[in-house]
Amino acid sequence: MTGPRRINVPLPATVRADARGRPLAIDGRAVEAVRESWLVEDRWWTDAPLRRRYWEVVTTRGDLVVLFRELDQAGGWYRQR
Amino acid sequence: MVVAVLLSRFELVIAAGGRAALARGPAALAPEPGREQCVGEVSSSAEGFGIHKGMRLGEALARCPSLALIPPDPVGVADAWEKVIARLESVGAAVESDAPGLAFFDAASLARLHGGTPPPPPARADGNVVPFPGRAAAGSAPPWLGGVVSAVRAALRLPARIGAGPSRFCALAGAVKARSRRAEVVDGARGLASEPVALLRRRPEAAQVVEPLIRLGVTTLGQLAAMSRASLADRFGRVGELAHDLARGHDTELRPRVPGEVLEEMLELPESASGVQLERALVLLVDQLLARRERRGRTLRAVVLGARLVEGGTWRERVVFREPLSDATRMRLALGQKLILMPAPAEALRLAVERFGPSAAGAHALFDDGSAVRTGRMREAIRQARAVAGPEAALRVLTVDPDSRVPERQAVLAPYEL
Repeated sequence: MTGPRRINVPLPATVRADARGRPLAIDGRAVEAVRESWLVEDRWWTDAPLRRRYWEVVTTRGDLVVLFRELDQAGGWYRQR
Repeated sequence: MVVAVLLSRFELVIAAGGRAALARGPAALAPEPGREQCVGEVSSSAEGFGIHKGMRLGEALARCPSLALIPPDPVGVADAWEKVIARLESVGAAVESDAPGLAFFDAASLARLHGGTPPPPPARADGNVVPFPGRAAAGSAPPWLGGVVSAVRAALRLPARIGAGPSRFCALAGAVKARSRRAEVVDGARGLASEPVALLRRRPEAAQVVEPLIRLGVTTLGQLAAMSRASLADRFGRVGELAHDLARGHDTELRPRVPGEVLEEMLELPESASGVQLERALVLLVDQLLARRERRGRTLRAVVLGARLVEGGTWRERVVFREPLSDATRMRLALGQKLILMPAPAEALRLAVERFGPSAAGAHALFDDGSAVRTGRMREAIRQARAVAGPEAALRVLTVDPDSRVPERQAVLAPYEL
């Protein structure tokens, strides 16, 4: 083991969202409800700032999923739990 | 015959990132955070302003307002110096080194390997002082010494100053006045006689006598050697006796280090860490270090805790345990006390083994309630699992930063240690 291994590492996800960025489906599974949404802006004092819009949603299968969208130029959706 | 290898301004050069950086103007090592406000090594142009190592920072800046203060880099210096020592040891030298930039070894033991036939060993007097009366004129070298010096230069690949002499101090005097391509031999008291008494500053134990001696009009080591030993002892105590011994070409025996293996763990801290986060990082580092296969069940006698600081520079602290141990909890207790001394938040934390202890430390529980046996079985199970499946066979979730708003920073998987 060369170093500590992080857990909860973000995994790429296929998300369909509406025009306001609200997720409608994740990995082909429709979103039943959005429980919470929050914005994380961190490390803005470094060369690699971090800006994410988090969503905690419940899918039609009853799964509780936390996902986020990168708000920098790269963009992209990730699920985290 | 003792050989001294001197890399002048080693700490300054490493901290500045190379000798080219020192050519821009007068520079000196800034005081380490939290330590006495004195400058460290100074560049040659700074010396021109009368600044020297150990001068108060305020006085140094008053003498040279344009003095560039370079943040010290004790971790980088230790790494670079370890490489130099390893190169010296690669030619077979048993090296003694108390400070970066200066190393000693006994060349006679290398004579047969690199230069020819060694000389007969000198007779020893009582105590730990080795007397070496002046044998020949200063500068006379045994025929085999050239081969040894050539081997050392080839291994070092650095512009080192090399001096030789019958004792450590004589060799040091030779190295100080040597040129970069030619070794200088100082043959006992006769060779030292014309050297300035300020040379004693190179020996921290005797440095305090330099200023009083100069004020008393004693400017050369020859004058010091001619003084009565009793009067020096009367005026300066044990330090005076030591200075007299050194001036007469006597010195204590070399105490070479035992070449060791490098075992270290480093943890990059994504956010500048201090306080609780740093303690958690230390927990992780200790576990990782103890889980390394190269440890082979040995206890740890001394470790070095280092950090790269956010505001620039590094920090380094050596910790010698009261007894050799491999108990993660006790190691954390001992090392946690040192974390408090860290002067600024850290970007990276490093823990390296400096010396190993015996494989089985005799630490037994005062009361035997069976837990020690169970813990021992568990340890053995973890050891066997790792032997089969590798270091990742037994892991645990370690909470690093539970309050972080970024979930992947909250916890990591670390080696499971009991």
